[in-house]
Amino acid sequence: MPSAATLRARIESSLGERLSSKLLLRERAAPLTVSMGVAALDALTGGLPRGALSEIAGPASSGRTGVMLAALAGATRRHEVCALVDASDSFDPASAVAAGMDLERLLWVRCSERADTPRRKGEASRTALGQPPRNAGFAFGGVLEQVLKVTDLLLQSGGFGMVVLDLGDIPAESARRVPLTSWFRFRRAVEPTATVLLLVEQEPCAKTCASLVVRLEREAVCARDSAPDQAQQARVPHPFREAKGWESGQNHLHIPGNSFVSHAVLLRGMRLRAEVVRSSIPSRANAVLDGDPGWTQRKLAQSAGVNFELRAAW
Amino acid sequence: MFACIYVPDFPVEAIVRAEPLLREQAVAVLEGKPPLVRVIALNEKARLLGMEVGMTKLQAAVFAVPDEKSAPNIVKPKGKSGTVVLRQRSPEQENSAHSALLDVAHAFTPRVEDAAVDTLLLDLAGLERLYGATANMARDLASRVSAVGLEANTAIAANPDAAMHAARGFSGTTVIPAGKEAQRLGVLPLPVLLDAFEIPPQTNSAADREREKLREQILDTLERWGVRDFRTLARLPDHALASRLGEAGTRLQLLARGAGMRPLALCEPPSGFEEAMDLESPVETLEPLSFILNRLLEQLCARLEARALAAQELCLRLHLEPRVADEDTTTTQELVGNSHTVGRATFERTLRLPVAMRDAKVFLKLLQLDLAAHPPGAPVIKVWITAEPAPPRSAQRGLFLPITPEAEKLEITLARISGVVGERRAGIAHRLDTHRQDSFRMERFAATPEETKQAEHPTTSDIEEQPPPLALRMFRPPWQLCVRVAEGRPVSVSSLPIQKDRGALQGKILWSAGPWRSSGDWWAENAKQGSASEDQARPWDREEWDVALANGNSNGVALYRIYRDLGSGHWFADVSYD
Repeated sequence: MPSAATLRARIESSLGERLSSKLLLRERAAPLTVSMGVAALDALTGGLPRGALSEIAGPASSGRTGVMLAALAGATRRHEVCALVDASDSFDPASAVAAGMDLERLLWVRCSERADTPRRKGEASRTALGQPPRNAGFAFGGVLEQVLKVTDLLLQSGGFGMVVLDLGDIPAESARRVPLTSWFRFRRAVEPTATVLLLVEQEPCAKTCASLVVRLEREAVCARDSAPDQAQQARVPHPFREAKGWESGQNHLHIPGNSFVSHAVLLRGMRLRAEVVRSSIPSRANAVLDGDPGWTQRKLAQSAGVNFELRAAW
Repeated sequence: MFACIYVPDFPVEAIVRAEPLLREQAVAVLEGKPPLVRVIALNEKARLLGMEVGMTKLQAAVFAVPDEKSAPNIVKPKGKSGTVVLRQRSPEQENSAHSALLDVAHAFTPRVEDAAVDTLLLDLAGLERLYGATANMARDLASRVSAVGLEANTAIAANPDAAMHAARGFSGTTVIPAGKEAQRLGVLPLPVLLDAFEIPPQTNSAADREREKLREQILDTLERWGVRDFRTLARLPDHALASRLGEAGTRLQLLARGAGMRPLALCEPPSGFEEAMDLESPVETLEPLSFILNRLLEQLCARLEARALAAQELCLRLHLEPRVADEDTTTTQELVGNSHTVGRATFERTLRLPVAMRDAKVFLKLLQLDLAAHPPGAPVIKVWITAEPAPPRSAQRGLFLPITPEAEKLEITLARISGVVGERRAGIAHRLDTHRQDSFRMERFAATPEETKQAEHPTTSDIEEQPPPLALRMFRPPWQLCVRVAEGRPVSVSSLPIQKDRGALQGKILWSAGPWRSSGDWWAENAKQGSASEDQARPWDREEWDVALANGNSNGVALYRIYRDLGSGHWFADVSYD
């Protein structure tokens, strides 16, 4: 039985010149992807697609920020100019430097409820010159409104290799209230560009506008003693083998063998699990799952997952 | 060969340059203190209506009546129709126009004589290869002067004085071939010669007053002889003229024959780029001010373009209408930001650009956004814009270099973003050299393309060898907590009520590690330099704990760093691990 592609080629050749080329359904080329900065995630997802909206979702302490910084660090290492729209002013420059980011190439926009309400179009020209400066008093504007407005401006400006919207501390209920038209508009704005638009949040909210949705979960936390008598443990090759943390699937933690306070106990890192919720990128994992590496938007019938680690910088 | 650029009715042209719509109207310029206000200059349309230089303001006001319906009692001169626009003389606008003329001339040739405020002489020797024939040069000069908003007469002749007389006597573009000076200049009236003979004018000096007296005597004598044009004067016998008028008569006759040759007194190009405009009535909103700014910026950019320069910094100065009610407020208003100065009647804003630019539209948008964020506080009656010149960017991007935002677009975007999120909340985080937590300073963002280094792509092996580090999410400002401590370690946490609007941070501590003690800046009483804020400059002394908190509301466990400020004894949460 001929494949769909062969059948289509036969029909097109038989119609020949009678079919206008504009009416032909053009096959969309697979998007270019860039590294997420984590090899396991790259193997799972194929990387972050350029000219598309991607989402990294997960609860607090699930490694979203670590992955976000790794992706941004990779982009700045490629000498791309990046922008971070920080909804809760939670970006830590020290962590970014530890991740290998070049801060000179990152435009950090710190949204805050204390900032001024965005002006509507044309309002600036009607400003009375006799009025006092606006900084004299704050008008409380919505953070999400600021985030959307700033993202619009950045995408219109163009030239950014990666634009990240960090909604990690915004409650999922609030993030879901962002109209779908906004995400659609952002997707259309980045489609003809080489910009990676990345959304970091607690729950996926861009729905079908997202080309890639990755959900992160924390599996375990590594906290080891660094005292001299624990040196044997420190030489264990795998950092989580002797971890004094949660076991996978448990939501509580205890300190085995040491019930009193010790300042020698250090948080060493986290073991995380990533699952692809939605992907339209041909990747190794998708190819195995679906048997079709083509460019088609789908929700995966069976989530693909991978484990990886984030290690403390100290 | 020498060229001359002459702007007739210069005070009028300086005003029309700032208000191009006036070019189609009759304009008269007034000067003097009341009641001695008189017309000092007018354009051709005003002359046709019957106005003259020296009229009093009252006499001029008759021509300025809009129509008979609005002022039926005033009788206009018979047979004269139309309206004359009266404007006060503006020395700043004349200076700007003169500087623009100098810019054009110096862009053409470095050998320029600043003969008068309305007259420039240029040495064209050796420029034929660059600009072509002399006729082309004359046309090129005229178009360049027109590009900066001035209508000038240009003339080219074999000597500077002949070129100057031709420019002053003939309108438009004139080219006098060598040897034909006397023939072409012969038809010019004598005042053209005597006006040029007076330059350079320095009216305050005693020598110039004597020269003015001599000029009147010579003109009176020549009129009595029946000499009214160049040709008649040129034909007078040399010796007889010298015996009657002395050295001045000989010099005048030489000029009338177009045979005077002298070296040019060269001048330097103007170092500053400033445009100014006096407003007829105070401007109260940004929209009409934008039109004025646009005009001034276009003139400024045209001048910069003439000199092949760009602007690295723009300074906007506004003269404000004094208000009795809030005079004290304006005088005591403090500096806001690094470039905002408010005085008694002057408001100043400075835009420092990351790269040199020369786009009037970009400048206008930046000034609009800046003024919208920082209104001057009173109506505006005078505007100055000064540009700090710099060599324009000369960057050629590589085909395989990563994309970067366009500098002009990025500046506007940053200004708009600042309007949304507030001042100094968008930029580059610059880390400070200190052990204090969360120490950084916000700096201006400028996307500079990488030109020297090759883009380094991280290899897969690098990624595999170095797992990404655990990241921190900061709480700014830190959440104040109520912590229950048992056996020396925290066991449960709840946010204080004042933090309730930020979300809940409460629950049982499942695991804790610590304490780690840190302190700093206790050695410096005023450690304020180099700190992001005054709050960051205070000494710190604290006890930190890493805790796993079972958050009561979200049914999840998250890792936080909490600390106890040993100075106050209060507990705070400043970081979540993510």
